[in-house]
Amino acid sequence: MEVKALEENGFSVFQVTGEINISTSPELRKAFEKQSSKKVVVDLEKVTYIDSSGLATLVEMLKKTKAQGGSLGLAGMTDKVKSLFEITKLDKLFSIYSSRAQALTQV
Amino acid sequence: MKKEFQIPSSLSEVPKTSAQVLDFLKPLKLTEGEIFDVRLCLEESLINSMKYGNALKPEIPVRLILEYTDTELKMTVEDHGEGFDTRKIADCTKEENLLKQSGRGIYLIRQLMDKISYNAKGNCLSMVKYLGKQAKA
Repeated sequence: MEVKALEENGFSVFQVTGEINISTSPELRKAFEKQSSKKVVVDLEKVTYIDSSGLATLVEMLKKTKAQGGSLGLAGMTDKVKSLFEITKLDKLFSIYSSRAQALTQV
Repeated sequence: MKKEFQIPSSLSEVPKTSAQVLDFLKPLKLTEGEIFDVRLCLEESLINSMKYGNALKPEIPVRLILEYTDTELKMTVEDHGEGFDTRKIADCTKEENLLKQSGRGIYLIRQLMDKISYNAKGNCLSMVKYLGKQAKA
């Protein structure tokens, strides 16, 4: 997995490529902990696989962002990854956008 | 076809094992969706067995048995732990549990597999996936 942390239009954007699983999710958490923006977008367009550890990591990132009065959106996930959010009802918890561009205007 | 694995209880073994399993299942020509589901359920069950059953002690193996026909895949994952009652796991989809960190692995297995069962002790999980239900990619 690769995580690119970017600043875009006042947002902290995390562009994730590859798999978010029990081995790689600590790396995403570490990248997230370095930022302090109140507006966060996690771009999941290039994520090919996510497990329950990955879902839990995104939940943790959402909780921390909200605790600081901020907002976090998820963008661009594939149908399969999105289906896991729907099955676990996490789609009710997160703001999910079809693309990063859409997230950057609506989060 | 049937194959048995004895896997050391180390998380680094999980991706190696799922790669071996998917290689073994190649003759089934699974769809991308089926591969994703099988891999996820296998890895979630192996991780649970290694962590909670075998306390991540590499010298204590997890036993995995794969059996398949053209229409059905069965994966059995057994650890050496005391077992647990899955009915005690909180429903991760309830609003009050959505922010919790755990409980999603077994829930995903229940949803993505067609049939699952535990032995009486609770340390052996059998998962069945009926094949050919998803359109070929």
